[in-house]
Amino acid sequence: MTPGTGPLRRSRPPVWSYWVVLPAIMVLWAVVAGLIQSPLLPAPAEVLDTLVREAGSGELWHHLGATLRRVVLAFALAMTLGALIGIAMGRSALTNALFDPLLVLLLNLPALVTIILMYVWFGLVEVAAVMAVVINKVPNVAVTVREGARSLDFRLEQMATVYRFSRWQRFREVWVPQLFPYLMAATRGGLALIWKIVLVVELLGRSSGVGFQLHMAFQVFDVAAILAYSLAFIAVVQLIELGILQPLERRSSRWRQPEAAHA
Amino acid sequence: MLELRIAGRDFGQPVLGEIFATVERGDRICLLGPSGIGKTTLLNAISGIDQSVPKEAVLGRDKVRVGYLFQEHRLLPWRTLSANLRLVGASSQQADDLLGQVGLTGYGHYLPDQLSLGMARRAALARCLAVEPNLLLLDEPFASLDPVMAGELKKRIVGILDAHPDMAMICVTHDGADAEILANRLWYLAGSPARLQWDDAVGEPRSIKELLGKLRNLDLAGS
Repeated sequence: MTPGTGPLRRSRPPVWSYWVVLPAIMVLWAVVAGLIQSPLLPAPAEVLDTLVREAGSGELWHHLGATLRRVVLAFALAMTLGALIGIAMGRSALTNALFDPLLVLLLNLPALVTIILMYVWFGLVEVAAVMAVVINKVPNVAVTVREGARSLDFRLEQMATVYRFSRWQRFREVWVPQLFPYLMAATRGGLALIWKIVLVVELLGRSSGVGFQLHMAFQVFDVAAILAYSLAFIAVVQLIELGILQPLERRSSRWRQPEAAHA
Repeated sequence: MLELRIAGRDFGQPVLGEIFATVERGDRICLLGPSGIGKTTLLNAISGIDQSVPKEAVLGRDKVRVGYLFQEHRLLPWRTLSANLRLVGASSQQADDLLGQVGLTGYGHYLPDQLSLGMARRAALARCLAVEPNLLLLDEPFASLDPVMAGELKKRIVGILDAHPDMAMICVTHDGADAEILANRLWYLAGSPARLQWDDAVGEPRSIKELLGKLRNLDLAGS
């Protein structure tokens, strides 16, 4: 077997390969839009125009801000609750047996059902909107963190018992570092899922946010606005990924591959 | 200092039988016995890790500060040596001093996995000392160390015990030669379920070898 072709020695693909498919689609989009000249498929330049106009009028920032606020709030609540539930279920077989059926039910409950029920029961208010998102996300976080809690190293538990770690020390120093990869996985999946649900929540019952704007644009078939707002929020989520999540992950996993000091 | 009245411990099948013994200040006990007999199980019962062993089975444990040197270092791999020591109560200055005592001066800012096996074990020993223990539990402290390193570690442990005459030690080993250097008392665990077949002070170094030979033969004959 020649080097570089084996399954274990997979070499990195060349840099240009990342810049083929997406630009090609852009070009295709521009060509097709130019050919059919329909308002239902605006050209990329039109979408950009819309984006600049909305940004100039302040509308874009207002609605992006509203959506981002809901995403952050729902995300923080869902991660905290989900992590606590996951740890409890992973550490205690009884807790797990008690709540596992409920977890399965919630995992299979369509997001739309939760949203409708929350609005019906609590009215078209902000609390109902955020709660609906949290209820949708908590089970996913709990399931992921539960896996982590089950795989906690019993040797370190024994060590913490002998050396009389306080509850807080055990949580902060022994559990959190071991759970970190699971929390990161839940965060990654969570962010993508939550902002999508937030848009639906806004579409159905709020009067601000990207979802609300999409709703308005849908009423008049303003495809340029729909694309402009979607792309803007995708960009925001990417910024969070690059600016917060990746640096955090790099920082926290530094201990995993330390350079050998002395052998 | 400690009074053991362990009724037994089983994992599906009985491992430990009844264990009655006392541990006094200054006792340097080497716990020997065939491998897999339950020596670590006994240490875990004494240390309180094994929560299925009731508190009354180890009288006096509440008043004892335990330093436990596990077979693996069991330092938190995401914390530096110094932070690991501070976590169990040492000040930053004490942490540096303790690391110096085990020959790791200047290694405070290293992560445990950056060290060799022998160094990591010494760092773990420093953590044992950080709790100012009066009972030191050592689980095969010389396993998988080369003879030079093992000898050096033995000397350090003897030095620590000499410096703290009130400290008691229980050291699991399967090498009678360790006992000759470290022990003033011998426990021999054997049988099924395992009991202490021997619990007495140590005489001449030569007699340890003879005694162990006898105990091991007895064991073979019995099984």
